[in-house]
Amino acid sequence: MSNERQQSPSKLSDRWIQENNELVNKWKNREPSSRDQNHAILLLSSEFHKLLRKIQGLPLLEDHTRLELCVVYNVCLLSIALSQMSEAEMLLTQTMERVLQMTSVEPMASSPPEFWRTVVTSVENRPFQSSVQNLLCVRWAICLANCTLEAIEGLQGEFSSLSAGLQQDISEARRMSSNVPLLVMEPRKLLELLQICTLITQGAERLNEGGSSAALTGLQAASSLPAPRTLVAYTHLLSGSCLAHTGRPQMALQCFRKAVETDFLCVCALYQSVLIFRCLGNTQAEIQMLRLLHSTLMLPSTSEPFTASDQIFSVSVLLRSQALRSLLFVPTALGVLHSLAQKCVLHSRVSEGVECYLDLLAAIRSEEHSVRSEDSHLPRLPELYLEAATSLLMAERPVDCMTLCDEVIATTAELLPERVVLEEPEEGVEESAMCAEGEQDRVAMLFWTGAAYLLQGHCCGHLQDWKQAVAHYTRCINLLVKVRVKEKGGQPQVPTPDVCNEKRADLQILQRMKGLSLAGRGISFAQTDQLRHAQRNLQLSLHAFPENVGARLWCGEVLWRLDRKREAAAIWEKTWNISIRSAENIPVYLREPQSGPMLDSAELRRRIRELDSS
Amino acid sequence: MEGRCVVETLTEFGFSSESCSLRVGADVFLSTGSDEVYVFSDQNRELKAIILFPGPVRDLVVNEDKQTLYVACCSGVYCIGLSSLPSRVQSSRPSSIVPHMKISGEHLVIREEGVLALLLVNSVLLNLRLTKTSWLLTRYKIAEESILGSYERLGSFNAPVVSDSGHHITDERSERRPVLFCVHSAAAPSSSSLPSGHVCLEPVLFKVLFGIDAALAKSPVIFCGLLDGRLCFAAQRLPGSQLRVLHSLEQPVVFVGASAGTRTDPAECLVALGEQGKVVLVTSKQAGPEGGGIVAAFTEVTGSDLLVLDLSQASTGGSEAAMGQAGSQKSASAPQNVISLNVCRVIALTKHAWNTDGRVQLLGLSCRGQLQRISLPVGLQDGGSSQPPSSHVGRSIRDVLSAIGDVYERSSVLKASIKSRNQTLKHLNQVLNISFLLNTEADGRTLAPVQDKPIRCHATTSWSTLLQKDSLNLKCVLDNGSSYVLERGWTLNITAFPMCDSPEGESCSKHYSFPFHNLHPGEKLEISVPLATAGDLSVPCSVSCSLTFSFSGLLGEEAVTELPQGGLVSLPLNTLMVDWLHVLRVLSPADAKRNATSQPYDVTVADTIRAFLKSRCGVERDAGNEQHSATIKVSSQLLRDMLKPSEGGPEESEAVSPNVCISLLDWLLCEGHGGVKMQGDKMALTSPVVHARAPNGHTIKLTAKEVNLAQDRAVEREEPLVIVEVQIESSSLADVCGMHHAVLRRVQNLLQKAPDKPSSTIQMQSLCVREALQRAEKLLRQLQQSRISCTFGEGVSMGKVTSCLLNVYEELRGNENSLLII
Repeated sequence: MSNERQQSPSKLSDRWIQENNELVNKWKNREPSSRDQNHAILLLSSEFHKLLRKIQGLPLLEDHTRLELCVVYNVCLLSIALSQMSEAEMLLTQTMERVLQMTSVEPMASSPPEFWRTVVTSVENRPFQSSVQNLLCVRWAICLANCTLEAIEGLQGEFSSLSAGLQQDISEARRMSSNVPLLVMEPRKLLELLQICTLITQGAERLNEGGSSAALTGLQAASSLPAPRTLVAYTHLLSGSCLAHTGRPQMALQCFRKAVETDFLCVCALYQSVLIFRCLGNTQAEIQMLRLLHSTLMLPSTSEPFTASDQIFSVSVLLRSQALRSLLFVPTALGVLHSLAQKCVLHSRVSEGVECYLDLLAAIRSEEHSVRSEDSHLPRLPELYLEAATSLLMAERPVDCMTLCDEVIATTAELLPERVVLEEPEEGVEESAMCAEGEQDRVAMLFWTGAAYLLQGHCCGHLQDWKQAVAHYTRCINLLVKVRVKEKGGQPQVPTPDVCNEKRADLQILQRMKGLSLAGRGISFAQTDQLRHAQRNLQLSLHAFPENVGARLWCGEVLWRLDRKREAAAIWEKTWNISIRSAENIPVYLREPQSGPMLDSAELRRRIRELDSS
Repeated sequence: MEGRCVVETLTEFGFSSESCSLRVGADVFLSTGSDEVYVFSDQNRELKAIILFPGPVRDLVVNEDKQTLYVACCSGVYCIGLSSLPSRVQSSRPSSIVPHMKISGEHLVIREEGVLALLLVNSVLLNLRLTKTSWLLTRYKIAEESILGSYERLGSFNAPVVSDSGHHITDERSERRPVLFCVHSAAAPSSSSLPSGHVCLEPVLFKVLFGIDAALAKSPVIFCGLLDGRLCFAAQRLPGSQLRVLHSLEQPVVFVGASAGTRTDPAECLVALGEQGKVVLVTSKQAGPEGGGIVAAFTEVTGSDLLVLDLSQASTGGSEAAMGQAGSQKSASAPQNVISLNVCRVIALTKHAWNTDGRVQLLGLSCRGQLQRISLPVGLQDGGSSQPPSSHVGRSIRDVLSAIGDVYERSSVLKASIKSRNQTLKHLNQVLNISFLLNTEADGRTLAPVQDKPIRCHATTSWSTLLQKDSLNLKCVLDNGSSYVLERGWTLNITAFPMCDSPEGESCSKHYSFPFHNLHPGEKLEISVPLATAGDLSVPCSVSCSLTFSFSGLLGEEAVTELPQGGLVSLPLNTLMVDWLHVLRVLSPADAKRNATSQPYDVTVADTIRAFLKSRCGVERDAGNEQHSATIKVSSQLLRDMLKPSEGGPEESEAVSPNVCISLLDWLLCEGHGGVKMQGDKMALTSPVVHARAPNGHTIKLTAKEVNLAQDRAVEREEPLVIVEVQIESSSLADVCGMHHAVLRRVQNLLQKAPDKPSSTIQMQSLCVREALQRAEKLLRQLQQSRISCTFGEGVSMGKVTSCLLNVYEELRGNENSLLII
């Protein structure tokens, strides 16, 4: 009688072991198609849960403890793969309580590290010690996934003794391999992953807190650990970031290079290099890097980084620290393309820039690019059009430029406001978002249209069609005079240069555009010998935007032609002496045109010398 | 009356369904929420094929260019090439079988669970599904037909679920679907003909609603009408575009569309319809650059008419009349500018074609599975006020007649349902009354005599001989003494279970159920159930009757499953008791004589032999001379008082005094006790000695005699106390016990009815109480002794103890010791 009773669970446990092993083998022998991975894990997880419920229906007995712990290990890893951390944690705690009950050690209501220490000591030299150690690995993985580094530090001692224990376990497992429940992932492999991922996360956190040098030592130790390529590349990347923080950009660049050499898909290293070059002011290198980054991002495989086919969960589950994520940030392909285009245009590689802009516009208008919300820091679409148009004009393709501008004008045509009042933003009071957005949109629309007319004027100037140019500049001016400025408590009025302070970006743009269009019209008049009109326009232009060098020189020129040579000379002298503020933040389409009729400064100086000598 | 439209039934599918999706390509595709998609050829007017999917179909969309059909099913989206559809076998027989096509996993192109709606925009397939926290609109790039693998995912938009509407959505998930709709700007160059679900919008309105960026990118805009009433949109291919809310209808959106927009004549307003009939128009009326005004019109829900709403009156800017497209439960008769088309019960509707003469044709599916082509009258486009030409009069009369027919059909269905509901209510009322009646009896007046229940059972026992076996039958009569009718659905349940365990140790209770139809007040229902055969009879036996009502016949099976106890109501009636006296067979004096030689009654040959064998056993037992007897004493005054009504007038009481014994025996044997009567040939008892046969074959002698106690005991008394002694004698101890129990029970019942007479009890006190006590003490001693010897005595055998106990029992029941019942 008693014999029978003892036999039946062990037979049952054989069946359970078989079931477990079948599930594991099914997983290992599946067809590796990454798309269905999540679905497969979901199915597998539910199967394992069923098995576990069966097993846990019996009280925990010494002879099938090992089986139960192995199944719990499998279930927990699957839960982690599905990002169900709390479920895994709960299951783990329950199981350990069962183990404690079996070993008849009272589970104390103490902190988690204490609890685990109790468990580990209570199972010492028991046959299922290794299984408990495997579960300790799972515990570590959960802590890491939850980014609770303190918990990991609390159990540091237990974790570090794990690797020796697992070593033994392998030989033991080989010895009795016939009747051993299989695991979905080798504990040894898991441990390796955990070690390096912990070091990476710690490094990122320390770097974030400002402890760059402390982080560096840990990361360099990590870079020699056996691990997947991606992770080793991360250690190099983070080392580079540490070096950059401590003011060693060249060494940082070396590290980034190493990261890319280790894993050529490590796009974040490329992006960090871009940032370093930008800081160093090495524009040519930055452009090259951006180009490399863009082409890497366009590779099809970068979209899904770490899905090694034999791993049950991707490493990204373990690397969830916010600090790390900000270090690994990479803009989207479209964003990279835009900065590349901008850099090229601004740094005299216009033809390349034009290509980039055209690629960008084509990508946006194609059906099949993916829409991501991270793309939201691209400039607004009309601005992109205007930038592209400017680059086309710079590349001496005025007709194409006109077409793009036409498109912007046609789009905004029916929506332009009759009158716009720019109010001083009230500090501290947040306007309702919708209202502010609508108002900003109307002003922006007016500015975009104005800029489009301005560019068209430039194009006509380029084509020497002065009459048409005057028409376009006039349209721009007519638009801009609709804008009134309202001071705090005052009445709306026509803006004057003195109200234009540094903080009001919209006012600056307004005045700059006004100055540019008036100057353009003035120059056009000058070209058609309408010198009186030209002089008045240029004067008004200088009144609105005094820093306009071209307008100043042309103003002098017109005065010279009007035979007011002394005044002309004075203006020229003054122009060469004023200091020009940097125009880095001004949109490219609002810069002084490089393509219009130019005045040669040397020639003007010669004229002054002649005037002086005469 | 000019708002008539021509309805032409194309085919009938013979199903009825609540929701349905209908798509028109070269063929008509329709699904009813089941696993099947029907392909109907419009030209040939026949069902072309049926496509079977592995789960319920949520939505389907047709790609005209590539000749493919996309179907959203439980496990994902399937893609089926229309060319691969099986075509009907070209045979001469017109009624050839419709080919079925079963869709398997190889057609699965997007593996995503719970896709609710699909939309195709050029080469991008969008699907909408609901997760726990948000609505997810995902874009997929359509792969070439040659590589029917998984489609590439191009990103997704999401809108968080509003918390309070979450439950609502999941509850009705199966019935309602969100709506997807695509808006193009008229300025954008795209394919000249737009498929259904797409519309071309006037550029200014487009820019105002969706922004400069969408207009500049020439991006189509996707509209989602969600079940929580939100109307969301997102530019299909703008970097960084997100799902934004345009308006909330505060009721599930069932339709999003625009006033008839074509490429040459772009729509000037967007229309959204809510489930409860709210219509929202979006126009750029007071346009200016600040944004379109939203004009809302409210209508009530009455049923499912097809209505036309003239949008030109609601929005002064618009001039085009638009169809108030109706799905199920669409708007109705409130504002003055809504015209009913008198087409009823349409559950799905789609635009079919424009006729050459400018008539609009719609394709509708009625809730009973009729696919109909609905041609709208021309007049509607002009505001619906023009006089129809005389040639149309005949046709319009036909239309009116058909509309009347339609309305009549609808009203008759409604009438029938109201009638059946009334009947059900009436029935329920009866049931409630009856259960109230029976329950108050049970709760309130538990002590009241059983006879007071208006609905009760009584029974008669009878012996019958069948196949040479005697069996005891119980004829139960259900008497409806109430003023209510027991209608269909009631069942009479009878459970008989013996009071003592059968020798085998198993309690063998028997259940009988008799469903019956109407039992009107005053009517009786007679049923007969076999209780036992002579051999295995076990009396006394309790027969409990109850009435059960089942709601399943009244309310239908589904409704009943939600009721407690499976929709069964059980009401207990009374409980009857069948005891030894009921199963006795009284022997005539002649038989009794024969019986004296302990010969059995039966005369058949087989029985004779059996009887002989039995009698041999009996002789052996008789050799021990074990004749058992028991006595019950009852005051004859009490008997006279109680049995008087049966005897006659009170003045005769003294005269008939010797008859007390006979009348007592008569009362014991023939009257109905506990609702049970013994049936049999009523023989007039002539002597106070009755011989009867017990079911097990033994003869029982029942003797009643009158004894004057005062004389007997020689005790001084003012008045002699006369008692009646009933003696039961039989060779079987079990018979004696059973009979004693039965007689005693009846006499006790009699006592309960008797009026109190304290005087006689006082007289009794002096009477040999002492003697009785002494005898009782002696018996107690004997009893204790035998118990002690039973527990401790090793030497005493079990047989000895048993005989000792038997002795005590017999003395207790015997003449000397029996108590007197006054």
